[in-house]
Amino acid sequence: MKRNDLFQLVAPLSEQLYRFAYTLIPDDLQAEQLVIDSLNAYLIKEQKQIIKLEFDPKNKREAQKLRRFYFKGLLKYLSDIGIRRSGQLTDQLKDMRPPGHAEFYGLEARVRIVMGLRYDARFSVEEIAEILAIPRYEVIEKLHNGRFLLLDNLLPGATP
Amino acid sequence: MIESVPMHKAFEKKIIPYLDGALSKEDLAEFEAFVRTHPEFNAKVKARQEELQLLTGKIPAAVLSPASREALENEMRTSIFNLLREEPEGLFDGLRIRWEEFRNR
Repeated sequence: MKRNDLFQLVAPLSEQLYRFAYTLIPDDLQAEQLVIDSLNAYLIKEQKQIIKLEFDPKNKREAQKLRRFYFKGLLKYLSDIGIRRSGQLTDQLKDMRPPGHAEFYGLEARVRIVMGLRYDARFSVEEIAEILAIPRYEVIEKLHNGRFLLLDNLLPGATP
Repeated sequence: MIESVPMHKAFEKKIIPYLDGALSKEDLAEFEAFVRTHPEFNAKVKARQEELQLLTGKIPAAVLSPASREALENEMRTSIFNLLREEPEGLFDGLRIRWEEFRNR
């Protein structure tokens, strides 16, 4: 894998990565910084694995597959760093909550990322478990909790 | 009517796991078979789907401005070129790598 090829593969993910970073830290600059820090951590820790992958730019299907592989790898670091950072910024986060999304930011960071991965990016429960390195049942539990807390705010009395 | 209400109740509990893709293969087959044979049950599935759509609307869909996107992609490029070591495959490849490193300094 050449560096320029890697850049061509991951550059289109910038928007989606930013979106996830924003679900953890609702601040433009901090979310962008989180994307860069996650990429740096990913490149440093997974360098060998990243560089050994072969890439044929003509094979679009292969490119899609590789892009998804890198996306998942980046999300793993983004979630990990973002959840920690979000914990450190708990007090500041209260003032950052964008209007219309206060209930969502009232959820625990790990629940927010699981909800975003499932309902926004449409990852399967198995893929989320792989990205976050947690058991499948924990993903289901977090989805259940997130739904329950959000629905209770939106439709009081609704069952999760 | 042989079907009992408890049967419906049991499948109602499976709607959300079904929409979440969290049902096992066996449960999924059983659930889909039940929905196909009970068209009235579809309304309940649709109601749950609508609830989920409402939930999805509560997840912020942050969008980057074109300028921020370009700046972020430039930073991503710099990170990749600074942190990833590429092994040259011959003299010309070595020159290419050095040239790219020079450009991305």
